[in-house]
Amino acid sequence: MRPETVAELASAIADETGAMVPMGSGTQMEFGNPLRAADCVLDLSGLSRITTYNPAELTIHVEAGATLGQIQSALAPNKQALPLDPWNGPSATIGGIAAANAQGPMRAIGGIRDWIIGMTVVHVDGRVSKTGGRVVKNVTGYDLAKLYTGSLGSLTVIAEISFKLKAQFPKTSTAIAEFQNFQDALAVLGGIRKSPLQPIACELVGGAGQANAIWIRFGEHPAAVAWQNAQLPSADWSVIEGDLESAAWERLRLQHAKLGPVVIRVVGLPSETGTMIEQFHPVSWIAHAASGIALMAFDNADRVPHIREHYPAVIERAPLEMRRSVATFGVRGTEKRLIQEMKQKFDPEARLNPGRHIDGE
Amino acid sequence: MRAEIIEKLRRVVGKDAVVADETELLVYECDALAIFKHKPDAVVFPETTEQVSGIVKVACEYGLPFLPRGAGTGLSGGAMAAEGGIIIEMQKMNRILKIDTENRIAIVQPGVVNLNITQTTAPLGLYYAPDPSSQQACTIGGNVAENAGGPHCLKYGMTTNHILAIEVVLANGEIVRLGNPAGESVGMDLVGTIVGSEGTFVIVTEITIRLLPKPQAVKTLLAAYHSVEACSQTVSDIIGAGIVPAALEFVDDKTIHAVEASVFKAGYPLDARAALLIELDGFQDGIEEMSTAISEICRKNQAYEVRVAKNDQERAQLWLGRKGAFGAMGRVSPDMIVMDAVIPRTRLPDVLLEVDRLSELHGLAVANVFHAGDGNLHPLILFDSRYPDQVERIHKLGEAIMRVCVDAGGALSGEHGIGIEKKEFMGLIFNDTDLDVMGDVKSVFNPTAMLNPSKIFPSRHACSEIGRSTTTSTAAIGKRVEAMLLGGSRVDH
Repeated sequence: MRPETVAELASAIADETGAMVPMGSGTQMEFGNPLRAADCVLDLSGLSRITTYNPAELTIHVEAGATLGQIQSALAPNKQALPLDPWNGPSATIGGIAAANAQGPMRAIGGIRDWIIGMTVVHVDGRVSKTGGRVVKNVTGYDLAKLYTGSLGSLTVIAEISFKLKAQFPKTSTAIAEFQNFQDALAVLGGIRKSPLQPIACELVGGAGQANAIWIRFGEHPAAVAWQNAQLPSADWSVIEGDLESAAWERLRLQHAKLGPVVIRVVGLPSETGTMIEQFHPVSWIAHAASGIALMAFDNADRVPHIREHYPAVIERAPLEMRRSVATFGVRGTEKRLIQEMKQKFDPEARLNPGRHIDGE
Repeated sequence: MRAEIIEKLRRVVGKDAVVADETELLVYECDALAIFKHKPDAVVFPETTEQVSGIVKVACEYGLPFLPRGAGTGLSGGAMAAEGGIIIEMQKMNRILKIDTENRIAIVQPGVVNLNITQTTAPLGLYYAPDPSSQQACTIGGNVAENAGGPHCLKYGMTTNHILAIEVVLANGEIVRLGNPAGESVGMDLVGTIVGSEGTFVIVTEITIRLLPKPQAVKTLLAAYHSVEACSQTVSDIIGAGIVPAALEFVDDKTIHAVEASVFKAGYPLDARAALLIELDGFQDGIEEMSTAISEICRKNQAYEVRVAKNDQERAQLWLGRKGAFGAMGRVSPDMIVMDAVIPRTRLPDVLLEVDRLSELHGLAVANVFHAGDGNLHPLILFDSRYPDQVERIHKLGEAIMRVCVDAGGALSGEHGIGIEKKEFMGLIFNDTDLDVMGDVKSVFNPTAMLNPSKIFPSRHACSEIGRSTTTSTAAIGKRVEAMLLGGSRVDH
């Protein structure tokens, strides 16, 4: 089904009696536990309008099938942006990014949850409900957009999202340095953590057969960007800006796309980034060093139980066979029970993405 | 309360940590929204998470309502025992458990006072960003419950953007830890769902917060105007220019006169019709240019004076007036209601004009002092409760203002919460399905609805109270809400 309005989507869902799989651009199909059933795909690409954009208000309201690239293009003429750079790129739909809580290097300054101000969702019985609103500050009622973000379409189908926006950074620049020795890279990261620098992205990149590299990006008033670059701990930095900078991050995005076949998101503290990598020996990695989140690539998912003894860990990407044997989220105990009860409350017959979220663990 | 229950509570927390004396309980019959009062049957002062869990289990055993309370500074009645029962007062759980400078996080108990965190971490070059006006008294646990805001939330976000992990006691007494110090949701974002649930989902017993590095440089400006429209147009122009100040606060002439006659005297120009308090912060490099750009925008909009604080003392002086504004109102009016609503920022000029018109129509003065940068209005309705006709007019004016804000595309509350104060207005924003869904989520966390009952949901919306019959007191409170649609707080003299 390819509905073109929220009403059509609601009516299509109300009429469907089987298992439904909401789909955007399909960039996250290797994320989540294997589906137990899939009778009908809800193709949301027809629901792709920017319904209201108010530049003076710094807010935008979009349908879930709009792509991130489409939204950024609409914002660019007013020098505004949604400060998100998920690894799945500009072709990903905004609803998909929210449902998967997809992130990229700019995780350092927040995720999609931090920019959402309201949502309209369709429930499994076809009811349409909203949460939040269209103003930038709001505590009217429960903040259910937080609940839906990252729920992988297992509770409701996200139909529309309202965002607050940011003015484009007056200037950005990226400094990249390579290190022969992993410990040298960690020492520089330690220096950055203890400094007043405030990067908008800080990646530690490495792996078998490649040099260890730190990518650090600043976005501020040009004078503040220059000052921060000058304060970087001593290393062989090359500083790039403009088109070169964009092209470099696009290369890193493509490098991320080649990580695998299994990519695990391991969640620790910024100061633990190096230890985590040393402890679990991934084949290669890209770590959000400012956030303590490391994306580790392995040949298989065998190490996941061991990692989870020490840190929370999510399987971001893995072939179906491997996802059959190892849980994607690994949430346990009372927290798991609460999430299962939430699923039961929203989707008692398990017809929305059945088994893909924690209900499949 | 039955002696048997009091004895059980004493076994959990110790003999001296249970208050059940009728006179002593009067202190806890309301929070800072003093117009709604209901006495709890007992107030208990736990010191550990296990004790909180023990209290909840006693409440469950006897089918009693229960709710957490911090400093009682809330302005929507969230910490008021609407149906009696047990208030779990968190003020003894007031330790900062850990400060991790390198990772810029702190682990604190819920009874820690907001400002104490910043004071404690300041020597380490760090601070906690959300700064509600009550920050000298309010607790971080209450901030989490209400998703508290403050002037600096314009640039740094609300409480929800600074909470990384929590330990909570569920409504059945179970203890669970949610989230992680990276603030990365694994599975579902239950932490984000709980922040702002106004104490109706869980009781938070430990909080991991994000600390920020203290800005290198701060610039504080005061811009004075002869016209409200020009002043509010400046706000739109600053936002439209892509500059996000750390704070962008609006004060009108009534506020200026009250402040200047009080101990909060800040040197605001007495001939101004309205003024903006603007603060920029960040790196030293570049801040001068941003300050100049803002000054130009102010002057372009006919600001007749733009003053830049020259030092920390002048800066503190300018803020003293803003932070003391509510208190200063006591000099010009015996009573006031602090309203809280949000409008799209570009609608400020016409909404403020409409508020003025309504103020004249209803014959009650309204002062405006608010977070202009994010459109978060705080109209202060000034009245004298000795005159019943004024009290009668308040709710009509309050409701009219609220409707203007909603019609402009706004929201009922930007930071005070719904609580008991605005629950009957929820229907202006949300339809029955929206409220049903919120009720469903509440029922997952709070299936018996005994944790902080009678809050947020309109009285007629029965689904929030599933599994429990409505008590007389709920009905009574419902009637009071109907009668006093808005509520308010009396200024103490």
